[in-house]
Amino acid sequence: MTTESPVLISLRQVSKTYRKNGREFHALRDCSFDVMKNEFLVIVGPTGCGKSTLLNLMAGLDFPTSGTILLEGEPVTGPGADRGVIFQEYALLPWRSVLKNVELGFEFRKNGMNQREREDEAMKYLDMVGLGYAVKKHPGELSGGMKRRASLAMILAIKPVILLMDGAFNALDSKTKMTMHQEITRIWETEKNTVVFVTSDLDEAVKLADRIVVLNRDGSIASVLRNELPRPRLGSAARDLDFHHRFIGFRETVMNVIKKDAGLRTCAIS
Amino acid sequence: MLLFPGIYPKTIFPEVMAKQNDTRQKNSNGLMALVADRSFYVLGVILFMIVWQIAASLKLFGADFSEAFSPLAAILALIEMIKNGELIHHALPSLRRVLVSLSLAVVVALPIGVLVGYFRRIEQLTYVVFQFMRMISPLAWMPIAIIIFGVGDVSVVFLLWLVAIWPLILNTSHGAGRVSPLWVNMAKTMGALDMGILRKVIIPAAVPDMLTGLRLAVGVSWIILVPAEMLGVSDGLGYFILDTRDRFRYDQLMATIMVIGMIGYLLDSANRWLISKFSWKI
Repeated sequence: MTTESPVLISLRQVSKTYRKNGREFHALRDCSFDVMKNEFLVIVGPTGCGKSTLLNLMAGLDFPTSGTILLEGEPVTGPGADRGVIFQEYALLPWRSVLKNVELGFEFRKNGMNQREREDEAMKYLDMVGLGYAVKKHPGELSGGMKRRASLAMILAIKPVILLMDGAFNALDSKTKMTMHQEITRIWETEKNTVVFVTSDLDEAVKLADRIVVLNRDGSIASVLRNELPRPRLGSAARDLDFHHRFIGFRETVMNVIKKDAGLRTCAIS
Repeated sequence: MLLFPGIYPKTIFPEVMAKQNDTRQKNSNGLMALVADRSFYVLGVILFMIVWQIAASLKLFGADFSEAFSPLAAILALIEMIKNGELIHHALPSLRRVLVSLSLAVVVALPIGVLVGYFRRIEQLTYVVFQFMRMISPLAWMPIAIIIFGVGDVSVVFLLWLVAIWPLILNTSHGAGRVSPLWVNMAKTMGALDMGILRKVIIPAAVPDMLTGLRLAVGVSWIILVPAEMLGVSDGLGYFILDTRDRFRYDQLMATIMVIGMIGYLLDSANRWLISKFSWKI
């Protein structure tokens, strides 16, 4: 019997090169890191550094030019329901009600659920994200925050082992964003998923992450930092002065890694 | 106060525009305002009839025929045709032919359109041929249709089918082809295979375009129907046009033209209703 490895996804020397107008463009260079089980991993970096590419590779929507990506020891060959992706732009189907959108994942699987069971199951996840009151609405009638909640419920309903979130809360106002941080943390703690979260918002990264992967502008990994801040980090806990100092301190550490990359680049150009 | 706020021309001067909007808002309360607003559609028809009648009275369509070409004569002939059953006798076969050919066109064109729109290779394989074929008037196929299917119903239905499939195929493929890749990717990450993506994402997303294609198909079918029914069938509105001509019943000919226009308008309205009912909006 093999002992269960705590590594869920493992990336080894992953590079991704795009060709644009005959010129090669390196989106990722030699990225190697592991995603642990039940971990909340956040990937940060400047815009256009390949964060989203990295997530797409893990999702199996795109493939690396070189290097390997293993999911529980097996190479990733394509997308699958074990990895739920929440895209930067929410992907709700506008002709379906919120409830029907959440049921979509069940319809793709031949698991013999009847209409009633699908509805009950979908309601469970809509209640979980706090959208139980708006199930009959269509996506066009929802606010930005409600759309994020709906897509979250939609993905959670397929019970993915790992949640891949690409700038999922980017376009939200700060209050809605705060609520969504609490929601995702609560869901992650109760459902025990693994989350890989891409963002360019450092505060968000520090609030959510167990570990932070910092990408350089050229698509290589600058550093993988462990976030030692105790949980809970949101709500009243954030008002504790000592916690606040540690929060700022760690954010500075991450910031310095990013600045170092930016500084080097400036030197190289001048 | 403006008596009929709607009839004043739109203006580029903002202060006048504001005033017009103001009066419109004041008058837009209640059923009466709605009726007053919609009455302009009816008014347009009545004005058209009056101009037509005046033109006929002034003998603008020639000294001998102006009498028969007037709307009054046409309406009297229409009443006569309704009473003696000729209208039903000729309108029903026409409607039957259009509906049969449209149904056959939908059955063939929608699956083709979805496949063409979704699979890039199929689109490339069919692009030139489809663009080439759709530019050929179905009437050009008439001799071939008669050689293959003989004179009669089948040839007419074939020609109508041939004209109806292109707007259906091209609109459906356009709709299926521009489906947001985000939705397709999402479906893939939820474990969907090609069949599931087609059934749950691509086809429903293309419904508005399918309906637009249907509306265009109904329009061209109805237009082509009249010449197609001049191909040796012995009933239908197209046949009846020739028949009235041969019998020198120009008032009935005018009445038939009115009926063709009216049925076409009703078919198009039904399609507009379908579009408003079944189209999703973002």
